[in-house]
Amino acid sequence: MGHELLEHTADLGLRGWGPSVEAAVAEALLGLADLMGVHAVGHGETHEVRGQGQDDGSRLVALMNETIFVVETRPIRIVGVWVRRDGDDLLAELEFVGSDEPGEGIGVKAATYHQLAVDERPDGSAEVRVFLDV
Amino acid sequence: MEPEQLEPFVWRVPVGTVDGMRVPGVVYASKELMDKAVEDRAVLQVANVATLPGIVGASYAMPDIHWGYGFPIGGVAAMSVDDGVISPGGVGFDIACGVRLLRSELEWERDVKPKVGELVHTLGRHVPRGVGTKGRMRLSRPEAQKLLKDGVRFPLSRGVGFDEDAEFCEDGGALDSARPEEVSDKAYQRGSTQLGSLGAGNHFIEVQVVEEVVEPVAANVMGLFEGQACVMVHSGSRGLGHQVCTDHVAVMDRLMPSLGIEVPDRQLACVPLAHGAAERYLGAMAAAANFARANRHVLADGVREAFQEVFGRSARDLGLFLVYDVAHNLAKLEEHVVGGRRTTLCVHRKGATRAFGPGHPELPAAYRSIGQPVIIPGSMGTSSFVLVGTAESAARSFSSTCHGAGRAMSRHKAKKVMSGHDLIRKLEGEGITLAPSHVKLLSEEGPYAYKDVSEVVRVCEGAGLSKIVARLRPVGVVKG
Repeated sequence: MGHELLEHTADLGLRGWGPSVEAAVAEALLGLADLMGVHAVGHGETHEVRGQGQDDGSRLVALMNETIFVVETRPIRIVGVWVRRDGDDLLAELEFVGSDEPGEGIGVKAATYHQLAVDERPDGSAEVRVFLDV
Repeated sequence: MEPEQLEPFVWRVPVGTVDGMRVPGVVYASKELMDKAVEDRAVLQVANVATLPGIVGASYAMPDIHWGYGFPIGGVAAMSVDDGVISPGGVGFDIACGVRLLRSELEWERDVKPKVGELVHTLGRHVPRGVGTKGRMRLSRPEAQKLLKDGVRFPLSRGVGFDEDAEFCEDGGALDSARPEEVSDKAYQRGSTQLGSLGAGNHFIEVQVVEEVVEPVAANVMGLFEGQACVMVHSGSRGLGHQVCTDHVAVMDRLMPSLGIEVPDRQLACVPLAHGAAERYLGAMAAAANFARANRHVLADGVREAFQEVFGRSARDLGLFLVYDVAHNLAKLEEHVVGGRRTTLCVHRKGATRAFGPGHPELPAAYRSIGQPVIIPGSMGTSSFVLVGTAESAARSFSSTCHGAGRAMSRHKAKKVMSGHDLIRKLEGEGITLAPSHVKLLSEEGPYAYKDVSEVVRVCEGAGLSKIVARLRPVGVVKG
């Protein structure tokens, strides 16, 4: 499991991978928190965000955008992310603690559908790719 | 991919470069800029845009073209209102991101240079900046709805700014087509605290000096003279605009299969202009554009306050008047001549600036004789430019020109060139005072990360898209 940044001339991409699509999506969300400078350690309350869409790619984009909304409107640090399926949706539990300071990372405007990919392998492991407007 | 060079600064991307192209691509670039655009894969994105239904003439790209998401940055696409589409990706997330230029009666050497350090840091105090920052004005929901309808007229009604500011904004500072009811609760939540905030990334406020007047008549009409201190503001629609785009791209991505539309990149998601979803997006986009204009207006109020504090005179006495405010991410319904017939088109400009030529009825009366001012920001350490639109650009690019230098290097690569502290030292050695919000992110926006803006505007002039009026040099930078 892990995540890494992908190069882009003007913006940035994220690649997440793990033993399942849900785990790879969770890694991409942690990568987003890293990028925005709001990833921390600790234990806190949880907030559920729902990713709806016609396929896992659009669900991933929806979860990323819901997370960007939460981070921009609440002074928080994300300490954990868990993703599971709920019917056709992907559901992410964001565990977070409050913070007095804004994130010290990059301002992320949104997740895009550009070169979006969710690749599930025969063994169930998966890799996701999403580009962000920063 | 082998684009054909038609003229010294004009390249054609032939139909067939990618499957489904309905028109050719046309890129305005020098050989060097074209090579970079091909290497960057941005020219492929020009070809992808050419597949969109109802595209008219060509898929155009300005000389500052670089790789975007869906549309290239620097892309222009005009769509027929009869059978064309609207694509929110052709506007971008930062709806109506743009630039405004304030002139002053202050001279750099005599008046501003002795106080530039104090001025830049006072500007930094008066202008909220950085990620998710709270702005200079807070809005209740009814106030936000009024602002989304009224644009700069809303802060003016609260005594913020000069009454004449509205006249020197594109569209008089407000698009009447705004439909605040199409803006989601989430967008209101993101925007209600952010009016009058700069944001992050490449947004900035710069104190600049007019280094060279190239076109004296136009410069005189705009009130610009060599040695003069000016202030440039680069910002957009903040979280409100980002959320509007997010909401409507998702809707269109879902709708496309049922409408039988296929696109080579999902971020080109679009619907026919006649579809209800298009009307809803255009109404919300116009509302976000009005937020962006009002945001730059309120930021300019902070600039005026800072100058008053430092120089001990009123902003009017200091001559801090608006030259022009124009967006470079927008889609607009405009009248153009196609095949000898005047027709209404929906012109997408993603990282491109509208550049109406002299005599255009939508220009402020004061500028009708010279053409529309176009404000081109440099890259923190390089020149910025004031241009004017040309009559020729109507036929060449649906009255469009470039929007800036255009990125040439990824953020990761830029950070490896030098640290933020080293960049501050370098720029201060060149006589530029900086007030960054985050030193560690500064080097991502260093001048080396961008193309040569002088080359970009030279190509625009050579291709007939716009004319250079004046070159401005940065002397103080407040970074978002």
